[in-house]
Amino acid sequence: MTATNLIDAERRSFNRWALAPSLVILFVIAALPALYLLAASLTPFQLVNPGSSTDFSEPLRNYRLLPGDPRFINSLIVQAKLSFWGVLFQVLLGMLLALLLHTRSRFVALARTFFLIPMVLPPIVVGVIWKLIYTPDISPIYYVAGLLHVTMPSLTSSVNFALTAIIIADTWEWLPFTFLMVLAALQTIPEEYSEAALMDGAGRVQIFFHITLPFIAPILTVSAMFRLIDSVKAFPLIFLLTGGGPGSVTEVTNYYAYLLAFDFNEIGYSSAITIVMLMLVVVMSLGIMWMGRNREALT
Amino acid sequence: MSAHSSRSAGAGRRAAIAVVLVVLLSPFLWLLQMSFKSNDLILQFPPPLIFTPTLENYTSLWHGAFSASFINSLLSASFSTGFALLFGIPAAYALSRWTGSGRQALGFAILVTRMAPPIAFTIPFFLFYRWIGLLDTITGLVLVYTSFNLPLVIWMMQPFFETVPRSLEEAALVDGAGIRTVFVEIVLPMVTPGIAATAILCFLYAWNDFFFALILTRTNARTAPVAVVNFMNYEGWEWGKIAAGGSLVMAPVLIFSLAVRRYLVSGLTAGAVKG
Amino acid sequence: MSRIKSVRSVSAVSRRKLLLTGAATAATAALPFPMPAIAQARPFAGVTLHGASFQHRFFTILQNYIPEFEQQTGMKVDLQLSAFPVYNQQANLELSSGGSAYDFVNVTFILAARWVAAGLLANLDEFTSDPNLTPADWKPDDFVEGAQVPYRNAKGNTFGYSWEGGAMVMGLSRMDLMEKKGLQIPKTFAELQQVCAEINGTDNVNGIVSFQLHHWCLPPYIQGFGGNIFRNPPADIMPTLNSAEAIQAVDYYANLLKNYAPRGVITYTEDQARQAFLSGRSNIFIHSSAWVTPALLSEESKVKQTSRVVRMPAGPVHDFPASNSQGLGIPKNAKNKKAAWEFIKWALSPEMSMRIVREHGHSSVCRRSVIQSEAYRKLNTVNGQDLGALYLEVLELPAKGENYMAYRTVKEFPILGDVINKAVEQVVSGQLSGRDAMNAAQEQAVANLRRAGSAL
Repeated sequence: MTATNLIDAERRSFNRWALAPSLVILFVIAALPALYLLAASLTPFQLVNPGSSTDFSEPLRNYRLLPGDPRFINSLIVQAKLSFWGVLFQVLLGMLLALLLHTRSRFVALARTFFLIPMVLPPIVVGVIWKLIYTPDISPIYYVAGLLHVTMPSLTSSVNFALTAIIIADTWEWLPFTFLMVLAALQTIPEEYSEAALMDGAGRVQIFFHITLPFIAPILTVSAMFRLIDSVKAFPLIFLLTGGGPGSVTEVTNYYAYLLAFDFNEIGYSSAITIVMLMLVVVMSLGIMWMGRNREALT
Repeated sequence: MSAHSSRSAGAGRRAAIAVVLVVLLSPFLWLLQMSFKSNDLILQFPPPLIFTPTLENYTSLWHGAFSASFINSLLSASFSTGFALLFGIPAAYALSRWTGSGRQALGFAILVTRMAPPIAFTIPFFLFYRWIGLLDTITGLVLVYTSFNLPLVIWMMQPFFETVPRSLEEAALVDGAGIRTVFVEIVLPMVTPGIAATAILCFLYAWNDFFFALILTRTNARTAPVAVVNFMNYEGWEWGKIAAGGSLVMAPVLIFSLAVRRYLVSGLTAGAVKG
Repeated sequence: MSRIKSVRSVSAVSRRKLLLTGAATAATAALPFPMPAIAQARPFAGVTLHGASFQHRFFTILQNYIPEFEQQTGMKVDLQLSAFPVYNQQANLELSSGGSAYDFVNVTFILAARWVAAGLLANLDEFTSDPNLTPADWKPDDFVEGAQVPYRNAKGNTFGYSWEGGAMVMGLSRMDLMEKKGLQIPKTFAELQQVCAEINGTDNVNGIVSFQLHHWCLPPYIQGFGGNIFRNPPADIMPTLNSAEAIQAVDYYANLLKNYAPRGVITYTEDQARQAFLSGRSNIFIHSSAWVTPALLSEESKVKQTSRVVRMPAGPVHDFPASNSQGLGIPKNAKNKKAAWEFIKWALSPEMSMRIVREHGHSSVCRRSVIQSEAYRKLNTVNGQDLGALYLEVLELPAKGENYMAYRTVKEFPILGDVINKAVEQVVSGQLSGRDAMNAAQEQAVANLRRAGSAL
């Protein structure tokens, strides 16, 4: 018994040493900045007024100004649109792609690798790629449109199409993600189910809706959740393609907060907006953890 | 669409896949081909698909300030990966063997750090770095990237450690081996594939980062992604060079990540879902 | 006057020479001696001077001469150039947080008022008034008044010296088409619209081209129609963006861009606009002379024979072409202020300005003596057009009567600039009418100003 006690004690000590540096680092990067942001959001801190960083006389000023700031409200709406449509198309198209590639074949296995490319590219390069495509002077799409005698407006400077342009680029970039997730799920479906259904005379569409879909539904949900959370971080595409414009049509909350902090140096107000975004992310992350715990299909 | 996975792909399906692949990858291919064209060719329509490629875009970029930014990216990504592995692997091991409470809380903290928008951290980091003089330094970048890759390492390595049977360790421990020896000589070798994949994912994340590099560097520690953007706004829209810059920046990550595609999903979902 | 000075400094120099040749480099680096006109053994040896600006032809040219400067002074110059928006953001962040990473910086016109008012720059009068630091023949008063206004505070102290003057002029690249259609050069807003309408579409040419800095392009129209950005700058900074005149101006300008400009013009950078202009694909380009005169002077211009550069059209109420400048300044917390002043003194000296004009044809310098010199006149008169006189005329206009560029000196202008940008984008892209956009802009501007702490 003493031997196991010693081993336990040794293990506990080892654990402490192994975990300590990581815990310290995690605390420093996760907790301290959050605390600082919270404190800053209670001040009217602007870089040009050094005294304003400790001015706690009106702590809720920034939060009170938020609902009345049409640009902030607009940014939330833009974010909602971008997230909704982006996630919808990524899940839908990713699923279709996975269904297409769900076969056994060396060719397909190889092709599968290439489908991943958009997702692993540096996001800013994705921005460069789509900037090239959306610039009328050098884009093949505009050339083709010209040939067909269709005058296409410059998408990124068009009120109606700028956000769509971003959604297209975003979907292109993250399609491989849902594709991979659904493909993995498809491969866990026992083949006997569909074989039995086929023998019973079921059509392919029926098999899809009654067997496949229920199996992959949890994965679809989880993919959607992850993409949803990630979509709040949208930055490089908007930075390169539209700069939030035209007007504020593609200005998502993250971008607005960036402008406030780093162009206008209104640190206090920007922090308040960032805290709001963090709350959103926390809620959504809790959702993911809850789903992760409750869904056996994931482990 | 079907769930008939046992049927091998027919010619029709393979053709469809090939077409979809080319269509989907065409924006990427467009960038690549543009990087080998001179500026006059680029502005020419119809775009000549057969042309004499030129390397002048790449060479002029390399002789400019771009190579320095490439090196900065390489340094900051490599060192941060090293440190993240150094701290994260033992931590992941400890966590995998931990039966205590608080594990959920830690897991949650890790998830939030991966999911929160970078701006939540850049403001405090910027002000702090200004104060202690770490702005525009490789050290500063390495610190940031290490901090954000650490949760990734812990999250990814945990499942790997969980596959190592405890009985193996117990046997060695009972035989009198110290726990450190057990860890280094028995457990670690069994998870080397995981370490390799995690390392590459860390490198990928650090290399691809744009936001932190944009805010925390100026010219000395400028990394490749920021250099491309900076280059884009110089007088004279040299599309060839822009395309070449983009291609250069993505080359390392393309090569590496295609090597670890198996673990990509796991890494991107912070491991909450197995790839 | 200068001869007496030099006699005194000769003996000082011989004394110094004895000291310096014997002293170690470190010791000499510590001596903050100025550099008189006579060559002296490297007084700043060992000093590395850090400076930053945005990428501009002026600095590309200057870099050719920096090795000479380094030779003479012994200091090493580390000049970092970045893209325009990147530089502005980083320099603004650096100075606002009181940094000392740079010894000299470009003071971009957008931010000049903010930096001066917030006390982020060193007072350069301390350098110019000290005869040991600045010889009298450097002539600080030689700089064109209109270009210097943004760098002065309310008390009249100077915080920057201009290296580039932006005088808004109008260039026409396709006089051949205009003559074919029997059109005269437009002199009023109404005529401008007419000419644009007539030319647009002919030969695949656009009537007009512009670019994304609407807060620079729009105010002349607002003022032309009789309005202004603020009620009475610099004293009364209540925005007046939704006055009838401002709305009229936005409608007018947006109409030009919507109907007679290239596709996607609101996202055009200056350089894209310039290319459209120099290649003759757009007829009219209204911008600083440095961007317009290349049509007559540059190698890449395809329209040398068919271009004219003239005053921009006058509005029904006022004729106020915009002018701005870019300047060099020294951050308040810079570490090597004296060395920085040496550099600025050298880069903006009458001799250097003349050299840049002569050897590189870069004419948007700000020294009146240079602009009015014979050599300048010869280089900048093309096809009978005296571009130098035009440049000077517009640059000096705000100093001659009413200072209509006062809105530019209000430190809160960047806030309004941003709001104006958005409003123009909204109107040109058809999202809002001019009235709605400017009303919204006015509300936003007032709210943002109040949030930033201005008492309105």
